[in-house]
Amino acid sequence: MEDLKQKLKVQIIEALNLQDTRPEDIDDNAPLFGEGLGLDSIDSLELMVLLERHYHIKVEDPREGRKILQSVASMAEFIQSKQTA
Amino acid sequence: MAERVFITGMGMITAIGDNVAGNLHNLRLLRTGLGYTRHLDTIYKETLPVAEVVHTTEQLHELAGVAGMEGYTRTTLLGLVAMREALQQAGISDVQDEPTGFINASTVGGMCDTENVYFDIINPEKSGDFLKFIDTLDCADCTQRIADTVGLNEHIATISTACSSSANALMFGARLIRAGVLRRVICGGTEALTRFTLNGFNSLKNIDKRPCMPFDQDRNGLNLGEGAAYLVLESETLVQERQSAVLAELRGYANSNEAFHPTAPSPEGDGAYAAMKNALDMGGLTPADVQYVNVHGTATLTNDVAEGMALQRLFGQQTPKFSSTKPFTGHTLAAAGAIEAIYSVLAIQHQLVFPNLHFKDKMEELYIVPETRLLEGYPVQNVISNSFGFGGNNASLLISKYEG
Amino acid sequence: MKGKCYIQGMAAISPQHTFEGDSSAQPMVAGSSNMLSCVEPDYRTFIPANSLRRMSRMLKIGLTTALKCMQDSGIAVPGAIVTGTGKGSLQDTERFIKEIRDYEERALNPTPFIQSTYNAVNGLIALQQKCTQYNNTFVHRGFSFENALLDSMLLLHEGAENVLAGAFEEITGEHFYIKSRIGQWKSETVPNNALHEHFSPGTISGEGAAFFLLDAKPSDKSYAAIAGMKTLYKPSPEKPGTALQQFLQQHGLSMPDVDLVLTGSNADSNYDFYYDVLDGMLQLPFKHLCGEYDTASAFALWLGAKMVKEQQVPAQWFPMLQQQPAQLKNVLIYNHFFGEQHTFMLLQSI
Repeated sequence: MEDLKQKLKVQIIEALNLQDTRPEDIDDNAPLFGEGLGLDSIDSLELMVLLERHYHIKVEDPREGRKILQSVASMAEFIQSKQTA
Repeated sequence: MAERVFITGMGMITAIGDNVAGNLHNLRLLRTGLGYTRHLDTIYKETLPVAEVVHTTEQLHELAGVAGMEGYTRTTLLGLVAMREALQQAGISDVQDEPTGFINASTVGGMCDTENVYFDIINPEKSGDFLKFIDTLDCADCTQRIADTVGLNEHIATISTACSSSANALMFGARLIRAGVLRRVICGGTEALTRFTLNGFNSLKNIDKRPCMPFDQDRNGLNLGEGAAYLVLESETLVQERQSAVLAELRGYANSNEAFHPTAPSPEGDGAYAAMKNALDMGGLTPADVQYVNVHGTATLTNDVAEGMALQRLFGQQTPKFSSTKPFTGHTLAAAGAIEAIYSVLAIQHQLVFPNLHFKDKMEELYIVPETRLLEGYPVQNVISNSFGFGGNNASLLISKYEG
Repeated sequence: MKGKCYIQGMAAISPQHTFEGDSSAQPMVAGSSNMLSCVEPDYRTFIPANSLRRMSRMLKIGLTTALKCMQDSGIAVPGAIVTGTGKGSLQDTERFIKEIRDYEERALNPTPFIQSTYNAVNGLIALQQKCTQYNNTFVHRGFSFENALLDSMLLLHEGAENVLAGAFEEITGEHFYIKSRIGQWKSETVPNNALHEHFSPGTISGEGAAFFLLDAKPSDKSYAAIAGMKTLYKPSPEKPGTALQQFLQQHGLSMPDVDLVLTGSNADSNYDFYYDVLDGMLQLPFKHLCGEYDTASAFALWLGAKMVKEQQVPAQWFPMLQQQPAQLKNVLIYNHFFGEQHTFMLLQSI
């Protein structure tokens, strides 16, 4: 799980071109949107693309997406639940 | 005193008809144009509904009167079909008998044809027939082809403000007339289905797999469509000189920007409210004067909330009849504003309100619901037609019955 | 279109050093290929990092030029935003077409699609400056900027307080190749500083952005007045001559009254003959500085306004200049885009 979170942080930084952010700057449980990293709804679409391209998980409903993409921790949990399912 | 601007001709082609009469016929029969594509090469052929014009590109060459001629993209051909009808209806046999402007709208130009040959175009090892499409990549190509074919050479322009493009084209044309720059301007837009836009909206998770359900609680996105529509605008002086038959008056219009988000409207519908309000103010009318609003109503989650909130803010409990005609035509992007402007004129001419198809349940955010029945004999004097788009570009047109 | 408007602020990003510092002190940038590219500034001083991370090159160039123009004019929120671009963000269009193919229409990132829409730059300017007023984008080759200017003049005539008008264009290697297939560029390599010595079919490509803050009234800050504009679509070879006479006449001028003509002459033997109508007038070409592109006339307007304001031709950019004009009261711009869209613009000193 820790490895997955670490990997996710690197992938998020790359996908969203967060140039001045390092993986250790991202708290596992901090909100990605709004205050946290200051991401917006287009970023959330890009993160869903990340899930699809790297983990082959397709999120159909944007409303569902919002829950999954709350934090790195929630993303990691979702990925794990899909992979073990 | 600025000149009044009248609509004296209309031409169109959509998934529900090759001309204005055909569109009206199918609107009255509640016949949707949504189905699955026969012409577009995409993996979504059988999953994402679209409102496609039934004819093949070859058949469109015939309809547009350019059979056997080369270099016409589907975008151009759709536009040419609509243009010819508009000229005919306005009784214009020679477009050069009066300096005539042409303000066209397009979102992706000839992409419908270039996307199929793009990788050949950029491959130095390939050469052949596809090279004739090289210069059709941009938005000006369709405008110039249409202009050249019918002889429009006075003032031409192409506007691209996403989904509000042709509403802005109508507005620009009307302003040229009011400022006295021209006395006659033909305005509208043309849009062909492309893999590019289908995938674009799909990547935004904005496309419903079902026929779209504007203003419904369960809506989940839009369906794309294709088509073209042009309206002939004339100044009052020219109308008197030519004794033109007036179909309606373009009485007000407004363009505003939301400055909120690249692709989403503000939840309170600030831009939509401002556009409708300013169009009414310009026309010297109050909300109580409006009998019908042809809403943008794309059926995306965010548009319908924003537009609905704006309607409630402007009209309150007295919200007039409103409906989205996108379940008939799909969202035709650059052509939508002009197609819906023609529907607004038809509503006035035939005293009709078109139904908002596929509506079942009221949205939880709103207290208003769209009209779901076809209303015949409904007293329609003034119509607002809305077109809102990416980049926060909003436009509203106020179209009124001509009282002489 | 009658009625003057006044340039109250302006900015340009171009293949020359036009954006920062005293541009008149900068030497001409000479490229080594037929594709001229912009000298790009550091965008971070203009755009917040969180917005910058997603933006493609065209958006950065367009937005930054617009912001600098606003700074220059001292106005934060314009009364309207109107732009012209022939091709918008080519990089995004190309990227989205490729991703559709590479990912077989699945798992596509929406950003290139959003940014490929032609009004993306306008939307960004409005968003960053919180400008909720009139907003429009024209996309018509050599008439893109011209229609934006016409729209701006209409807006001022209708009572808008001021208008931000501009144009932006980029060239990519891929698009350069595409247009080479229909002979738009010279087959031999010609450095831009030697362009006018190579009269042959085709020209060199370029790119750039230029923005102007326009007002219906002049002030001490005004660079110049835009006294009028006339466009001609696919004119016959004789048409530009008579149209030019009429255009000048409408402004109470005849050919000798024009102190300088900036011509779009680009050493392209296919279409250069149109510029023959200017014979006998003092002329300077400008496309060795910016290359050819849909909205090059916006660069010419920037250049002309600068000259009118400074009452001087920046000599280092014009090695062909024999002597400074005695005065720069009336400056004419005549430009056409591959012979199809022709434009006259008249600049006047305040």
